[in-house]
Amino acid sequence: MTEQDPKAAAEAPKEAAAPAEKPARHGPPIVIAEEVLNERGEQTAAQLASTLGTLVLDSAGREDNPWVRVDAKELHAAAKKCRDGEIGMDMLNLMLAVDWVDRIQMIYVLYSTTNNRKVILKADLPAESPAIDSLTDLWEAATWYERETHDLFGVDFPGNSDMSPLLLYEGFEGHPGLKSYPLNDYEEW
Amino acid sequence: MTTESQFETVDMMLNMGPQHPATHGVFRMVLKVDGEKVIDVIPHIGYLHRGTERLAEVETYGQVITLFDRVDYIANLNNELAFVRAGEQIMEVEAPERAQYIRVILAELNRVASHLLFIGTYAIDLGAMTPVMYGFRERERIQNLFEHVTGARMMHNYMRIGGVKADVPDDFVPWVRQLIGEVRKGVEECDKLLSTNEVFLGRTRGVGVIDGPTAISCGLTGPSLRGSGVAYDVRKDDPYEIYPYLNYKVPVGENGDCWDRYYLRMLECYESLSMIEQCLDQFPEGPIMAAGRRIARPPAGEVFSHSENPRGDLGVYLVSDGTDKPYRVKIRPPSFCNLVGLATMTRGSYIADAVAILGSLDIVLGEVDR
Amino acid sequence: MNVTLSDTITLSVQLFALFNVAALAAVSLVWLERRFLGRLQGRPGPNRVGPLGLLQPIADAIKLMSKEDVAPGSSQRLLFYAAPILVFVPAFVVWLTFPLARDVVVRNMDMGLFFFVAISVLSIVGLVLAGWSSNSKYAILGGFRAAAQLVSYEIPIITMILIIGMLSDSLDFVKVVDAQATIPFIAVVPLAFVIFLIAGLAEVGRTPFDIYFAESEVVGGPFVEYSGAHWAIFFLAEYVNTFVIGILGALLFLGGWRWPFGADLPQVASVALLMGKAYFIVLIIFWIRGTYPRMRIDQLMAMAWKWLIPLSFVLFLAAAFQLKFEWPWWVLTILSLVILVVPVIVQSRKQRNPALELAARYAANAIVVQAKPRPAPAVEDAPVVTPAAEGTSV
Repeated sequence: MTEQDPKAAAEAPKEAAAPAEKPARHGPPIVIAEEVLNERGEQTAAQLASTLGTLVLDSAGREDNPWVRVDAKELHAAAKKCRDGEIGMDMLNLMLAVDWVDRIQMIYVLYSTTNNRKVILKADLPAESPAIDSLTDLWEAATWYERETHDLFGVDFPGNSDMSPLLLYEGFEGHPGLKSYPLNDYEEW
Repeated sequence: MTTESQFETVDMMLNMGPQHPATHGVFRMVLKVDGEKVIDVIPHIGYLHRGTERLAEVETYGQVITLFDRVDYIANLNNELAFVRAGEQIMEVEAPERAQYIRVILAELNRVASHLLFIGTYAIDLGAMTPVMYGFRERERIQNLFEHVTGARMMHNYMRIGGVKADVPDDFVPWVRQLIGEVRKGVEECDKLLSTNEVFLGRTRGVGVIDGPTAISCGLTGPSLRGSGVAYDVRKDDPYEIYPYLNYKVPVGENGDCWDRYYLRMLECYESLSMIEQCLDQFPEGPIMAAGRRIARPPAGEVFSHSENPRGDLGVYLVSDGTDKPYRVKIRPPSFCNLVGLATMTRGSYIADAVAILGSLDIVLGEVDR
Repeated sequence: MNVTLSDTITLSVQLFALFNVAALAAVSLVWLERRFLGRLQGRPGPNRVGPLGLLQPIADAIKLMSKEDVAPGSSQRLLFYAAPILVFVPAFVVWLTFPLARDVVVRNMDMGLFFFVAISVLSIVGLVLAGWSSNSKYAILGGFRAAAQLVSYEIPIITMILIIGMLSDSLDFVKVVDAQATIPFIAVVPLAFVIFLIAGLAEVGRTPFDIYFAESEVVGGPFVEYSGAHWAIFFLAEYVNTFVIGILGALLFLGGWRWPFGADLPQVASVALLMGKAYFIVLIIFWIRGTYPRMRIDQLMAMAWKWLIPLSFVLFLAAAFQLKFEWPWWVLTILSLVILVVPVIVQSRKQRNPALELAARYAANAIVVQAKPRPAPAVEDAPVVTPAAEGTSV
């Protein structure tokens, strides 16, 4: 935890705890944002649902960014459908991992340059030895994102041939993106 | 007679960077060369990795803005704008109109400043030393204005979630109007000196060609993608702030070579300046911060927002758990993605071209490594 | 041959004077270049050390001399330290035969032009050795680039010197200058001057031909591992060579100390006239440096072998015909101007015009985004948060 802002630190309960369990000692109770799609988002969501069909586990979205959650094993298939299907998501705009402590969530933001739509694919991975199929055969952009995610979160990407550290140096131990990684007391290199 | 094939020739591994004058910071690439020909490129990054994204998880939303200043340190205000927009989405506030105008004016000015820096350093990469002086002279004027408005020349920390820190000074509008005239002259000067210079054309036309589909697959954005003929500009395709109320043009290239990438930036400078003029014409009076004090504690949820940075599509993915600190901040750094295409562009060119291609991508290492 | 003591002493004094003149010229060039480029680039240039920054080169020299002289551990010491001398010596030896005015010369030779050509090519050896002995990849790349570049550009420069020799009927610098008493050779063969200047730039490695020590590519090329005094020697040799191109141009094309006055001026005025012309050429070189980017090595070679060498042979033949059939001198002028126009047209057709078209097309074909009408401002008054109150809220 930061030492710079003691007031804020005291106000904020320890992160990583589930929102519902937060003691509401300071400030208003935690509100969970209502996810509402706008018109454009609704259209995209409908198109996405028809493209992915049964692969979708659940879905929602905010503004014009609909998201769907798929099974980690089927993410590659879902991404391929998004790329080649009518929805035409030809760009892997962003890829990230979120460490929810009990699980790691992979988030893929796909973008279509032809009709300017965004969709977000999510897949949950176990916190222990997370692995998900590589998307390098679909988008070249995935190569570096996956190496970065491997560095910071320890997610494995079977299918990506080059998994050497990208942002960290060779031989770095640990995964600094994880919530469990200490923010101080690390070794200076 | 001996022929070349009878000799055993070994390809040379040439290490370029992290302390090479043409790698714009601490980028390092290992070139596999056969004489002057580049066979393969292995980029290495991470020398400037500061863990910005992880650091942002322990800062309050307001403090994260200062981190974003340091991500792309050439276009600070564009970066602030990107985060502030994501923050506004997650906090469900909207900045007042005047604040939006101020932000857009400053962001566009910063785009011009960034492009001027690109033009100068690109010329240096190619061995011309005069444009960098012209470019920096104009950039200096812009930074003087920034200092006047925000109090700092580079790390401004000026934008806020829900508005801007302080209203602009009284002489802002006339100052900017005068500045636009001066900067436009400077840009024209660089344009005349460099754009159709014979040697410059020889060095950049047909060099580092990447076609549209490959560029999209590599995740290239910004002028680097538009050079390949893909008209993707976040300002146009996913309008934000007050961009819908402005008339502007998005120049698109055809060949996807270094010259296209360079020249589109030159044209964008003119467009940005005309956008700022329109902003000044429409510049409204009014508040500069959204109402409400408790904007520091957003509802739990997640948002993705992106905006057009001088280098491309700068995305911010914010995950909130309902506390006053973001649970996860992910930056989509355009330079990082543009670099993915470097190897594709460089293979088969000359060593000198490798420098020209790297320069044409206009990378900022603070953003690549974060 | 009898060499008396007084001869030896005279020669020593002359050589010492020569060395100092050349070094001073080089140092003045350093100052001139920085000030001149500063003017081109809208900045003052060095102006702190001495009046107008005149002592800046001296300060730089002192700094360089006092720096530690580092040699890489894996370098070949003997060659590594010999290389700067091999570059430096030819640069100075060519001065032996340059007349700065009539009789202001160390040794006037009948074969002065030949002597210059023979000596000046030697510096290639030094550059290649520097690249080789440094045991650095950048240095070896630079050394090879230097070898390829300098050898290629020797040919046009020698052909131009030959043409001058033909026109003036002598290889003696004084006679070459005398032949230009009324009409300088630049008026007779303008193309020869252009080729000479281009090839000269390449010979001394000035922009746009500074390829073998390109800062942004091979980081100094053969000089990358040198520091302190040894690097200073390379640096000095480079500027001396630049000035040599200036002097040579003035002697061969601009009429030396005679044109435009015809008769000989007093010696001091002659030297001043020649120097003025030499500095004029040097300023052109600096101007080019302030304008052009650097070429690529393959473009450089193509330029030598596809343009300069064929053109210089054509010009050589033209000059030969002019002498053989005793045409008036302006025939050669017209011929060489015609030949000069050809590459300019071809090159602009090939490169500049398509780029201009493309630039116009990009500006015209840009996607136009039309503004939407701005909604009327909201009537309700939002509570205004003043900047001061806001400062602590986030």
